[in-house]
Amino acid sequence: MPIKPNVRPGAVDWTGENPGMLLKTDPEGDWSVLMLFFRIVWSPVGPGNILLLYENPMTAAGMPDCCNVIMTDNDALRDYIKSGFIEKLATFGGAPAYAAASHLPIDNVVSAGDPCGDFYSETVTGGGLEIKLVWESLGKPTALELPPELTAAGERIMYSLLVNAKSAFVEVNGRRLAGKPVTRNQAGLSLSTAFLYFSETWIYPDA
Amino acid sequence: MQRTPVNPGTVEWSGENPGIYLKADPQADYSVVALFFRIVLSPHGRGVGAVILGAPDSASGYPDAPNLCLTDNRPMMEYLIENFASKFPTFVGKAGVSAMSWFDVTDSQQDNRNMPQTYSETLTAGDLQVQMTWKDLQPPMAIEVGPDASATKQHDMYAVFLEARDAHITINGMALPGQVVDRQFFGRTMSTAFLALSETWVNPA
Repeated sequence: MPIKPNVRPGAVDWTGENPGMLLKTDPEGDWSVLMLFFRIVWSPVGPGNILLLYENPMTAAGMPDCCNVIMTDNDALRDYIKSGFIEKLATFGGAPAYAAASHLPIDNVVSAGDPCGDFYSETVTGGGLEIKLVWESLGKPTALELPPELTAAGERIMYSLLVNAKSAFVEVNGRRLAGKPVTRNQAGLSLSTAFLYFSETWIYPDA
Repeated sequence: MQRTPVNPGTVEWSGENPGIYLKADPQADYSVVALFFRIVLSPHGRGVGAVILGAPDSASGYPDAPNLCLTDNRPMMEYLIENFASKFPTFVGKAGVSAMSWFDVTDSQQDNRNMPQTYSETLTAGDLQVQMTWKDLQPPMAIEVGPDASATKQHDMYAVFLEARDAHITINGMALPGQVVDRQFFGRTMSTAFLALSETWVNPA
């Protein structure tokens, strides 16, 4: 039996959705685009949306030089996720773009497509930007329950529903950013660096 | 406890599935059983819906009895009711399930801005409006159950539950009668109103 009845005694950190893309123009080179989107339905500082997008991860610059942005409709949630989550992900928190990224508001988020269909997208608008995130060539949904040592952040247990995407791209005001997903490994699964994560919950380890 | 990081089963659906079960008489059966669904992934697509049985044992639909289903995706809702909700202990054998009236949702509004004080879902279908409101939400807890303990007795289920110490349902502004009561939920005493967020159901391998 894959799971046993359990009420986790550890506190819930946050729960929601957390899709992302890590793209490269050269499979052997640095990341060309890094993106994480959060649709959080519960956290200690309320629900909300956050978009972290680095058009140039290796560049310590924000708007208008390049689209390195952190957008949100809940500033307290943005700060909570930055310090408690993003800064524990070396790829995102350690990138030169992180500290320089422009903080912008989110006015609206619209989902489209079907994660069991051909494509799924999120369109985030705010701060004069319309950013479209598109995942394609979607895989079979898979339920994950990862112990801390199998997570990127390394401190908490994660429940999540993974939908792998072999293809993905980002458009900023209609301009497509460069790069494609590459392969990665998670919990023994050979996956792409473009992914949808639904119903994702981060839980502090059992006391 | 030994855990399997990758569940080998087939994912059925995922989303939110809060509920409200009310009693007009604490010693009698539930006078109201109601579930809300916000589905982000299913074999029949995405959507929202609610099953409201304000007269669970009555084989009548709305407006003769306050038994109704509202949704913006009927195939999804039929799938959820046939394979899941109708198997939940609070819904099993209830005449209202097959007799309830169906309505196509024209607007849906979620208000989660005032948690933990209140949380509400409002569905509109033409001139019909149903609002479900949860109040006094308690800290979340993450749960996982296998078939022996899940509500359908067939599936694995992961979810985040928040107990609501009070809740009510209105149909066109009129509240259905009854109050939440206490029940045992995985060894804890909890109210019969709850949010169930980030919920995923898996058909075991």
